[in-house]
Amino acid sequence: MGKRIWVHWVIMALHVVAIVIFTRGFLLTRTELPFYSNCSDVLQSPCSFSVNENQNQNQNQNDTVDQNQQRCWSKPAIGRLVIIVFDALRFDFVAPSTFFQESKPWMDKLQFVQDLAAKNASSARIFKAIADPPTTSLQRLKGLTTGGLPTFIDVGNSFGAPAIVEDNLIHQLAKNGKRVVMMGDDTWMQLFPNHFEKSFPYPSFNVRDLDTVDNGCIEHLLPFLHQEDWDVLIAHFLGVDHAGHIFGVDSVQMIEKLEQYNSILQKVVEALESQSAPGGLHENTLLLVMGDHGQTINGDHGGGSAEEVETSIFALSFKNPPSPLPSEFDTSSCGLDLGRRNICFSSIQQLDFAVTVSALLGIPFPFGSIGRVNPQLYALGAGTWHFEDTAGNYQNKSKLEEWMLNYANVLCTNSWQVKRYIDIYSASSVIGFSNEDLLRIASMYAKAEEKWSHATQKLLLHKKESHNELLPALRRQIDLYSEFLASVAELARSKWTEFNLKMMGTGLGIMLISLLIHFLAIKKVKEQYGFSFTSSGDSGISFGLIFSCFMVVIRACSFLSNSFILEEGKVACFLLATTALVKMRYSIMKKKMILEAFVFLLLITICRFTIEVGLSKQAPSSEFMNAYPSWMLRIAAGFPIWNFVAEALPVVALILLAFLLREAITRSSSKGIWKYIIMGTNLSYMLIAVHWASESDRLNLAWVLKGTGRSYIPRLIYAIGFGQLLLLTFNQLFSKRKSSDHSNLLYIKTVAMFSAWSSTIIILLGKQGPWVALAFIIGGYCIMRLDNIELDVKDGGNWKRMLDPVPVTQWSLFAVCLFFCTGHWCAFDGLRYGAAFTGFEEFLLVPQAILLTMDTFGFSLILPIFGVPFLVARLGQSDKGKKFILLRLSLVYMIYGLIMATSVTATIICVTMHRRHLMVWGLFAPKFVFDVAGLILTDILVCLASHYYFSEVEDDALQDLYTKK
Amino acid sequence: MKPKKNKEMAVKASSRSISATEALVVHLICGLGLAVAFWVAHNLHSINLTTHPSHTLRLICVIECPIVILLYSRYRKDRERCSYLKAVGRGLLGLPAGALVNALGAIALGAPAGIQYLPKTINWSLVMSLFTIVPAASVFGSSWMDWQRIFACTKAMDPVDYMICIPAHGVIIGAWFGAFPMPLDWERPWQEWPICVSYGAIAGYLVAMVASFGFILVRQHVKGD
Repeated sequence: MGKRIWVHWVIMALHVVAIVIFTRGFLLTRTELPFYSNCSDVLQSPCSFSVNENQNQNQNQNDTVDQNQQRCWSKPAIGRLVIIVFDALRFDFVAPSTFFQESKPWMDKLQFVQDLAAKNASSARIFKAIADPPTTSLQRLKGLTTGGLPTFIDVGNSFGAPAIVEDNLIHQLAKNGKRVVMMGDDTWMQLFPNHFEKSFPYPSFNVRDLDTVDNGCIEHLLPFLHQEDWDVLIAHFLGVDHAGHIFGVDSVQMIEKLEQYNSILQKVVEALESQSAPGGLHENTLLLVMGDHGQTINGDHGGGSAEEVETSIFALSFKNPPSPLPSEFDTSSCGLDLGRRNICFSSIQQLDFAVTVSALLGIPFPFGSIGRVNPQLYALGAGTWHFEDTAGNYQNKSKLEEWMLNYANVLCTNSWQVKRYIDIYSASSVIGFSNEDLLRIASMYAKAEEKWSHATQKLLLHKKESHNELLPALRRQIDLYSEFLASVAELARSKWTEFNLKMMGTGLGIMLISLLIHFLAIKKVKEQYGFSFTSSGDSGISFGLIFSCFMVVIRACSFLSNSFILEEGKVACFLLATTALVKMRYSIMKKKMILEAFVFLLLITICRFTIEVGLSKQAPSSEFMNAYPSWMLRIAAGFPIWNFVAEALPVVALILLAFLLREAITRSSSKGIWKYIIMGTNLSYMLIAVHWASESDRLNLAWVLKGTGRSYIPRLIYAIGFGQLLLLTFNQLFSKRKSSDHSNLLYIKTVAMFSAWSSTIIILLGKQGPWVALAFIIGGYCIMRLDNIELDVKDGGNWKRMLDPVPVTQWSLFAVCLFFCTGHWCAFDGLRYGAAFTGFEEFLLVPQAILLTMDTFGFSLILPIFGVPFLVARLGQSDKGKKFILLRLSLVYMIYGLIMATSVTATIICVTMHRRHLMVWGLFAPKFVFDVAGLILTDILVCLASHYYFSEVEDDALQDLYTKK
Repeated sequence: MKPKKNKEMAVKASSRSISATEALVVHLICGLGLAVAFWVAHNLHSINLTTHPSHTLRLICVIECPIVILLYSRYRKDRERCSYLKAVGRGLLGLPAGALVNALGAIALGAPAGIQYLPKTINWSLVMSLFTIVPAASVFGSSWMDWQRIFACTKAMDPVDYMICIPAHGVIIGAWFGAFPMPLDWERPWQEWPICVSYGAIAGYLVAMVASFGFILVRQHVKGD
């Protein structure tokens, strides 16, 4: 017997190894650091000194001392900033169609932007902005504001609320006294709940609604442009994104939207321009029109394809004239547009956005930003410096010098800030960067730094003397900093945005090998002890086997599509109902147990409706809410008796459950520890009833338990449950009495195990708990009875050795259904966090993680796995079969494990295939995490259950049997 | 599939044996009725299953109902005690009963149960009943043994059995597979309940009729040898 348990352990080890390796390659993780940049930090940087030096040196500049003190990390270049975000703005919406191979209907619709860019090339510019995957709005907004690379799991992020806890642009704005106004997409409100001075959020979830958010934006945007009480204005339009999702890019609606945006932009620019005269409201204003990500022709986004990551930024400065940009930093490419005008665009990484805007506004760079201040965008804003554009070579040269000096200075601060982040990140995060990479980066930084503090600064101090050397030296300095920043960004990208395909492949390979081993183990055990899947006892393939395989394969294949994963509960229910119908047909054929078949089908139908209720919580506009309108709720509210019944019924169910368990135990054996176990469970159930009564406001029982007293009852129930488990374990370890009836003993053990777990799980699940427990028992009973159809028909010896895989498949499908019935789904918002706080007022990580696991997997893994013997125990009612029961049980466990492992492998394959899918972070990755956690838990529980059910005593009996053979 | 002994006995016991050509004619008429229903829907009412599922299904039901009942009633068992009219009556009675069974089965499998789906579900289940239960009701009446033999054991013994058993199973399996695309997010109108399920059922029906004819032919061939 030890040998077979050993197989379980081996398989578990294989699964763990496979999953760990795969996860390392797939789930990119990043730790969020709780640090924030401050104005005073810059004093620690090597650049701060030189800034002041520089200031003192450049007396010709009009900076006053007063301004000097106001400065934070960089000199503010712009006063106000208007950011207009068009969600899912493709680059080809903005750039002229001549830049692309062929002209498409949706191009050249933002004609106004192109006009501006063509007319005044130095103050208006189109940028191709490259986003980093995942290209979903939430992740992109996070990336844009933090200047980092958000991954699927940003450790430190509180799972429930998406609010950004990392340092970010908006936080810095708010902290440094900039008044931020936001309008449009309410995702901003989720991310920054209390950072805005004023906000006008509009719901973004209704994809079919193209206009609500946009109209809301338009309504507020133009009036605000004439007001003084803000510094940064953000308007987020969603129409293009929604039009893409619903109609695709090549559609009338999309073109209408773009034309609408064109006219809006026209109005905005007119409004800004009218006040941009010196001394006007928008003298120092920069307008940024940008997309957060692109989209494919079908309107999808989320992945890393060129269409999805290429979006656009259009920057317009109202200050004339802007500074000249040294040609070597001007990496723009130019071409002629339809009107034969020369038009240029530059490239920018979205990563650089946060730090560039911070530098322009003169606020500290976000702590976790790894971007570089983009020279072109910075130059546009920097046009607001007081340069007199007088002719003369010398003058021009000094201006260039000044610009470059300033830029080098900003880059110095930038590099210092990035280096600080990388150092602190690798020191504090569990999975940091590799040492070689860190060393390489450190040496690059040291090189740049040394040059700065020794060579360049000296040149600066003796500026007058070494005039001709200064420009090349600054240029080299800037190059060194840029190289450093580029290599940091590259390293971060490889760490945070690129899947490691080798590791994923290895993990998947090991998983497949484990499946093979699992299969071979089943085959070996089956052959060794002469089990077969057919009733005739030969080694052939039965209908049941094919049918089970078919069901498992269909379920596995269903994971290949995101829609089926969304509706996984319904799929499982559909398959379970199919097996039930087939069983019903079989029972009609045998003219037996028709009632059980019917009850089982009815149970599945109820499950199905419960799952729909559960799904309706997931999606607010689901079918269920349409089908059962609010009049039902009104009826419920109208009759107080209804409320009373709703509160009393769970208690009735609880009593019924207690009665059933008591009956089950006493019928078989009323002695020994089993009596105490059942007493404990009854006590727990009573406590649960009291707990519910105290929560209810109907009976004024609140006086019973005041304040923290409320948490004592749940804790007591946990303690009783734990005590029961301990008792069972001790009994297992020390009780050596020989049992004459294995089947009966197994049965009692199962019931005892169920009793021990049930009370805790029921209180965690709340009032649905007893119902689900009853459904679980009825379902298990029906499956077991239906499996026994042949039992009485064939008295021969064959059925004992016959193992039908259909009940095991049904059992596992039933468990999946229960997972969804209890209101869970495979997403992090599907976790019932409230359950973890049953019995605990404050947050304690370990106990609450355990409680949350028990709540999530209680009815879908823990009870079904400990309840597996239920399928087997009553089978051998006749004496002949008793020795086979344990063998059969171990086979059933293996098959159950194999079914689980198959579906998880399918999930892994699907996740590998869809790693660039639109919904990979929204859907596939959470599903993967749930499945993987479930599989490991299954393996652990199977091992524990095997140790529990197969004791040494029975081992001897089997040994006898084996030697006899 | 089945022991030969049984088959021989069945031939003797069967009320009226029919030839392969007759079976073909019956199947062809049934198939033709379906085609006519679709033609009428498309050309006279200018509707189709996707745009007006409820109407189209009702139309199919109305056109196909007399065809199926009148045709299959000709092959009723125990002809001495049961007149043609009685068989027709049994068929008519079987229609709502079968519809109820089909509807319940569909709801157990996950068909939407909302009020706005009620007409669609009713019409769909009537059509399903027409293909599955009604022929058996006309032929077997209340003979539980025969019902059990056909639907639980799948033991078809003579051509009439094949003509009932195989199309009925084909329709159900077709409808089962037809439900697969329903949850997909393609946002096509035909993914609504019960459109793709009906298409699946009809496809299953057509395939099964061919299969049934094939079985009858093979059987005749074997018997001829």
